[in-house]
Amino acid sequence: MLEGPRRRVRLAEFVLIVLTLIVVAQLVQVQVLDAGFYRAWAAEQRERRITLDDPPRGVIRDRNGHLLAGNVVVYSVEATPSQVLDPVETARVLEGWLHTPRAQIQAELESDKLWVLLAPQVSKEIGDQIAEQELPGITVRPRWARAYPEGSLAAHVLGFCNVAGEGFYGVEGFHDMALRPRRIEREGPVDLFSQPVPWTVLPVVLPESGDALVLSLDRTIQAMVEQELAQAVMAYQADGGTIIVMDTRTFEILAMASLPNYDPGRYQEFVREDLSASVLPFTDPAISEQYEPGSVFKVLTVAAALDAGVVSPETTYYDPGWMEVGGVPIHNSSPDLQGEYTVADILIHSLNVGAAWLSTRMGADTFYHYLLGFGVGQRTGVDLAGEATGQVWTPNDYAYWHDANLGTNAFGQGVAVTPLQMITAVATVANGGERLRPYVVARRIAPDGTEFTHQRRVEAQVISPETAQQVAEIMVRTVDEAIPEAQVAGYRVAGKTGTAQIPVPGGYDPQGTIASFVGFGPWPEPQVVILVKLDRPRTSPWASHTAAPTFQRVMTRLFGMLRIPPQDVDMAQVVVP
Amino acid sequence: MLESLRRQVKRRTWRSVALLLLVVLVLAATYLSLVGQNAARGRHIQQLQSEYFRLRRENAQLEVKIAQASSIETLQRRAVEELGMEVVPPERMEFFVPLE
Repeated sequence: MLEGPRRRVRLAEFVLIVLTLIVVAQLVQVQVLDAGFYRAWAAEQRERRITLDDPPRGVIRDRNGHLLAGNVVVYSVEATPSQVLDPVETARVLEGWLHTPRAQIQAELESDKLWVLLAPQVSKEIGDQIAEQELPGITVRPRWARAYPEGSLAAHVLGFCNVAGEGFYGVEGFHDMALRPRRIEREGPVDLFSQPVPWTVLPVVLPESGDALVLSLDRTIQAMVEQELAQAVMAYQADGGTIIVMDTRTFEILAMASLPNYDPGRYQEFVREDLSASVLPFTDPAISEQYEPGSVFKVLTVAAALDAGVVSPETTYYDPGWMEVGGVPIHNSSPDLQGEYTVADILIHSLNVGAAWLSTRMGADTFYHYLLGFGVGQRTGVDLAGEATGQVWTPNDYAYWHDANLGTNAFGQGVAVTPLQMITAVATVANGGERLRPYVVARRIAPDGTEFTHQRRVEAQVISPETAQQVAEIMVRTVDEAIPEAQVAGYRVAGKTGTAQIPVPGGYDPQGTIASFVGFGPWPEPQVVILVKLDRPRTSPWASHTAAPTFQRVMTRLFGMLRIPPQDVDMAQVVVP
Repeated sequence: MLESLRRQVKRRTWRSVALLLLVVLVLAATYLSLVGQNAARGRHIQQLQSEYFRLRRENAQLEVKIAQASSIETLQRRAVEELGMEVVPPERMEFFVPLE
């Protein structure tokens, strides 16, 4: 070969070798040195965190299996503007379903945004219709929404669940974590539309719904109680009220209603910017509202005195109609109430002076020991969100307690309880002096079928069974002899009224009262205890005229619903031919 | 002789290469087939899951509808408006207690 061409061939060889070396060097750089970076970059583009379809929140049922809180499907309508072929036509089609002006939809579809939320929530029916149109660039995404098929029934007990699936108030709030569904997330390859690519067969693990809860509530009793409460509030022109029905043997709550209430399925409509959280209707007055119980509290004072052995039901004392404790005069409700009375008469005639006489005879240590034993000033521990503690000052609270408290507390003044605390204390008397923890959730059922049943929990043996029997008999006499409005035809019931003044800054409100009645029956084997509380009834301030007849109506219907036969019924033998 | 030997070696070499290629092809086809089957099964599982989720949604929806249709409020309204029943006040109620 000539010298010239040979040199050019060598030059070409050299250039090719250099180029090959550069390529090899680049390959080493990409494949070896920067391999980690490129691998991560590829994974970032190809792999996503994939959430398998969200399971629903756990359902809530009443004791007979009726659904109180369930789940429905709603759809959110979304758009990817770059994939919408005909924004004008798409906007025209969506306009009717979304109830949004066509121009607004069109503007969104023609925008430069990567993703647009056209409607956060439409019904399943509308969502299905939009999906059937198969509009390019329009996605209809299903999601769960909480539904309360019974409307406002047991609203305060249930609470509500927000759009994000978080529970608030009542059972929804207290058992939120148990009710929440278990999501399943995994990393995996996705396609252009972020849908998982089925390259590998993964173990089939389906996301589980939250635990189902079975309440102790009976929806029929709950509906009856709500109906009677609404009727009482209207008839006695009260601001509101509460009725609780509890089983005296287990302390399970059969019904609990308060007014004003709300519809948990439409809770947003009750939220107002100008209202503070304390006046929203979501807090349950039955467990969160504190009030001075008035004369109902004498049941606890008499029980304490009898159990402490200070007096017996037949012990007599002279009641001058007033007395002074700690420098504060205490009067009976009527000046006619003076003379010689027995301890039983303190409940039967609702004698304030007699109650104060008992507490002073017991002494502060003994008296408050029993009050705390009955659970006054402490949460009952019920499984509902937002329970208040109530308030009672003892001599240990030296900054707040005065000698006069010993006298006024004895008849329910200067002490604050929640309705649930009060009914729990009286249920303790009906249950032979044993205080149990009240509850609403009877059973919790996990998705795999495992059941967790409520365990009976004894809080304290406050008074002896003998004392409880004595107090209950006095309460039966109280209804028989002094409160005909609370008597239930065919049954013997125990009870006590309470007409309490409402504390305001500087004293008591002269205008309104809180009228309450707590009673149980049928005596001598009580099965249910009922508390009726009416706030500021205007037709009469007295509990005997308002709360007692309401108790009578509820108890009458309740005995029928629970199929408790009347005690004076003439049993007839029916002979079937 | 030498030439014949060389041709024989060459033929064997080609045979070996061909055999190797065949094995590679079979392995590749098997691999592709397995991947394809896996993908098909994965897709089937995805479809079953989607169906399961759809049925679960449908089920929940129907359960709520049934509960709404048999709610206390609905039953009472239908009893009063459609069947002409009335709500009886407690004072007008009478209970018949059968003997056990």
